[in-house]
Amino acid sequence: MEVTSKFSKKMMECSLIEKGAAKPFMPGDRRKALPEWDKDRCIRCGLCYIYCPDGAVYRTDDGFFEADEKMCKGCGICHRECWFGSISMVEEE
Amino acid sequence: MDKFSLYVPNFLPCKEYFDPKKNNACPGCGIALAVRHTYKAVEKLIEKAVWETPSGGELFGSKTDVSLLKIKQGKTEVIICLDNEAGGSLQDAIKKQMPAIAAAEGFKYVATASPSYPFDLYDKMKKALETEGKSYIHILCPCPVGWQFEPETTVKVGRWAVESRAFSLYEVGSGFYNQTVKTLKPRQLSDYIKAQERFSEVTDEQLAEASTAVEKEYSKLLENIQPE
Repeated sequence: MEVTSKFSKKMMECSLIEKGAAKPFMPGDRRKALPEWDKDRCIRCGLCYIYCPDGAVYRTDDGFFEADEKMCKGCGICHRECWFGSISMVEEE
Repeated sequence: MDKFSLYVPNFLPCKEYFDPKKNNACPGCGIALAVRHTYKAVEKLIEKAVWETPSGGELFGSKTDVSLLKIKQGKTEVIICLDNEAGGSLQDAIKKQMPAIAAAEGFKYVATASPSYPFDLYDKMKKALETEGKSYIHILCPCPVGWQFEPETTVKVGRWAVESRAFSLYEVGSGFYNQTVKTLKPRQLSDYIKAQERFSEVTDEQLAEASTAVEKEYSKLLENIQPE
């Protein structure tokens, strides 16, 4: 089964009755919003990385941080814990 | 480069042992955050670790619904209790008996930890792994679904539990008894209780009773702590 990013779309096609039916889904498929970093405000402290429960936030080569689209569940802890308000949650469709 | 060269995470190794694909935790899960930092401390030993639920639903004589992570290596045995207070009442939320009983039962190292203080949790885990004999770590993991609060406030609620003295962070070993996070200016207990929707029916009288009980527990703890 091919993995798509929209959970609800797949929910229509399959029934999660069989054992292991949820396997093709990634943790991020149920997400409502994705965090976005404002690079002008970010001081690259790494608090968002520390407090991410799913280990979805990773460090890019230039020292800033980004969220893995497949892993992020959109809980918003990074948005809440950022001291400088550099993270905003951008809602998805 | 094994460690981050940044301000905040340069105390932690950057290698992740926790695989988020293999869990189905809710968004903002406190247990997932605690387990992630536990795995960072335990490193390769995690392959030998065993997940358990306490036999008969009882741990140290008190009924609980917690999950245990047991790690054994040679003489070292670490029991990690991930407590999310499933079905807990107000009395359970403000009084934790299990660490005290564990300390009395002859565990070599007993500590309480919270995922809101990750470096504290990491240090305690490392200490437990270095201690010969049994050790016990009790982690209070806020649960957005069970406690009914917004998932983005998980870390904040965990921090308020410590700041309001409802869940003190301390460690007991052979020859030392330390409070690792000091709460000199405590937060109101009502802040912590009212942040959780599950306690929305708690009356002011019950809150007053609870806060006196918390103060009593805290003064008991202070008696045990050695002056520096």
